[in-house]
Amino acid sequence: MTADQAAHARARAQGPLRLGPGAPAPAGMTRLSGPDSSGMALPVWPDGVTPSLLEEHQVPPMPVERAGETRRVLAAVLKCCWADHSADPWPGEPAPLERVLDTYRALIGRTDDLMRNWAIGALRRLHDSAWVVVAGGIVSLGPRCALWPVESHAVLKDLVRRIPEPERRAVPVVPDAGLVAAALPEPAAPDQGAGSRAEPGVAEFDDLLSGYDERRRAELVSAFMVVEHAAEPVQEARFAALRDPALRRTLAEMLARRGRTLVQQRERWISGYADDLVRDEPPGGGPGESERAVLTLVLVHSVAIPRAEGLLPEDSWLSPHPAPVDELRRHTQLPIGELESALRALRHAGLVTQVKAGEEAGGYVPGPQFHRLTPEARRRLQEELILAAGPDTPLAVAVRARRAAR
Amino acid sequence: MRVPEQPLTLDAALSDEAVLSTYRRMFAALARDSGAVVDDPVLVDIAETLFAAFADAGEEWLTHEQMRLACGAYPADQFDNRLRVLKGLGAIREVFPKPNQLRYRASFTSVVGLMFIRRMMDDGGQSEMHRLLALEDLNVADPRTTMEEARQSAAGLARAFRLWALELITLTTGTIEELREQAPKLWGTEEIARRAQSVHGTILTRWPELDRVCTDLRAAIYAYSDASRRAAGRLADSAGTTRNLTLLPTETWRTFAQTATKERLAAVLDGFVFDAPAPWHDPAAIARAVDEAPRPAPAQPTPPRSTLPDPGPDGSLGAAREAAVERLRELAESLLGGESRVALADVLGPDWATARRVLADLTTVDLRPELPYRLAWSDGLTIDPSREPSWLSHGHLERTP
Repeated sequence: MTADQAAHARARAQGPLRLGPGAPAPAGMTRLSGPDSSGMALPVWPDGVTPSLLEEHQVPPMPVERAGETRRVLAAVLKCCWADHSADPWPGEPAPLERVLDTYRALIGRTDDLMRNWAIGALRRLHDSAWVVVAGGIVSLGPRCALWPVESHAVLKDLVRRIPEPERRAVPVVPDAGLVAAALPEPAAPDQGAGSRAEPGVAEFDDLLSGYDERRRAELVSAFMVVEHAAEPVQEARFAALRDPALRRTLAEMLARRGRTLVQQRERWISGYADDLVRDEPPGGGPGESERAVLTLVLVHSVAIPRAEGLLPEDSWLSPHPAPVDELRRHTQLPIGELESALRALRHAGLVTQVKAGEEAGGYVPGPQFHRLTPEARRRLQEELILAAGPDTPLAVAVRARRAAR
Repeated sequence: MRVPEQPLTLDAALSDEAVLSTYRRMFAALARDSGAVVDDPVLVDIAETLFAAFADAGEEWLTHEQMRLACGAYPADQFDNRLRVLKGLGAIREVFPKPNQLRYRASFTSVVGLMFIRRMMDDGGQSEMHRLLALEDLNVADPRTTMEEARQSAAGLARAFRLWALELITLTTGTIEELREQAPKLWGTEEIARRAQSVHGTILTRWPELDRVCTDLRAAIYAYSDASRRAAGRLADSAGTTRNLTLLPTETWRTFAQTATKERLAAVLDGFVFDAPAPWHDPAAIARAVDEAPRPAPAQPTPPRSTLPDPGPDGSLGAAREAAVERLRELAESLLGGESRVALADVLGPDWATARRVLADLTTVDLRPELPYRLAWSDGLTIDPSREPSWLSHGHLERTP
């Protein structure tokens, strides 16, 4: 297990990595340096592609919750924070939250409270996924905005021009710049303000890819992007690098450098965390305690119980049987408020999927992330559930005995 | 029939008969006829239904008709067969043993027997074993218990555990399907082994002389625990990842979901790695989302309304066909006003909304052969921007003979 593998796994599990002053970014990551030379590291993709490549191949990416609304709010943030169009959008200038909300209001032409709540919800999701940074009533562009390729900046410039200026209902008592200055700590946070810059990452796959002609190389990169970002396993017939065993081997090696491994489901493939990495150097982070508790409840109701009743034959942690919302609300030890906010976070991370059926009916099933469990992880999850639900059963004894023997 | 070696005294015969009749009653619910055991579970259901009816009836007991009524859901011949057997074995008896007795009562022993059998069928006797062990534990701790009784108790338990273990071992070496089916009924929980060891401990402390029997019991308990674990292990190995979850019953899962604390639930997913939310917002997708933003809808004018009184469709809907025809006839007559022919320009009304309705009705009139009115159109056309309708084809409404 190399440091780079562990770093990539951490970035995938926790989001952008913090780097100490002067610390270089791991291979395959871009370094976003603050004015004081400390910074952040974010994985970049081979040959300058982005996950929008999935669209070209008509492979659905991980679903984005309330995608339209979220992206409109991001557009409003961009309008407020990207002041100098001759420079890159990131890092841009911080802007007060109220100005962002006013801009969003002008963009969609609605002024009610509901709109404000939606916008705040979208900002929270964007903050959680590092697209914006919201702190103390001040909004700035998040580190992921540095990943927009330079070629696409023209689209963004045009977009920002088209967004109407918000009508200010009254001249603010304190000008925006003053508000921002008052809210920001001194000196400015490392990911904000002047002096920040993005440094391109060190290419990490060139030794693997250089032996291939242009077409093969593109096929490998496509397959890499698709297995890393698709919502579901993809058919091997559709991608040469999955079909051809030799190319697949190279693909597996590319993934391994990022602490990843190929997960096969019949003729379909996706990627997951490598088992030895999870065992030896777990990246940490991930969902909090109440989120994990709620996720366990969803797994019990939508997978374990249907399987005990013989309704779910496959070796999978996905399920068509939703855990009823009512069951989660009324018949568990979790307070409703905690349950709701945990479900929101789990939904956003693709760990649960909401199944709607009428006002009160419907429920939750395990989300697309469960496609990414390796066979080893699937077995371990099952054992952990058995150990937790029936610690005195012979089955639990057998599990413990086998683990001790290993 | 075996002839007893000792001379049969009246007392001995009576007590033998008492034991036999208890046995017979206990298994009456399972008997197909007086000589065999049932082969259809429905027959047991009939017995259970009957016993429930008896319990409801109280001291009134039940007549034959009432029993038949209680078992109305079952075919008559099955019911008769069952009643004959139950009566023959004494599970259901006359309230007073005399000829032409009409009222019947049920035997307590048969009901208890049936409950016991049902439980045995459900979990293979695990809960019985639990109860038995709990009772034995109390028994051997009782100061009145003699050493001989304790010896018998220990020997009996040892035999039960040995047989239990043997059955599990046989299953473990058999086919996996059979093991999957039977093993969860047979393998015990840690709890049973713990209880058995506690009985064993009590006996050994009180009567160190029973050392031999206790060693046997201990060996039997170990053999049983071992066989349980082996069976579970083989199942877990063979079943792979899919079937294991079927081996804990649904109720265990529900209880876990309902009673576990947040910490216990969360601990299940300790050590699993998931992705942080990292959706990709492509510039093109952002631009598309902005273009697709819902625009505030402009205030829409109310659609024009006719000046004719309009009671709405409630009267016309569902009314007879004749009512519609009658309405059209009245309309045509009111427009004609006794004439045989009127110009449409005179009757269409002051505005377009009214004209539209009248015209629609007149067209319907024209298309109904049973109504004696027709529309006659000519080629003329009047155009007058100041009036409504501005464009008017010339035509007449006529009464046909």
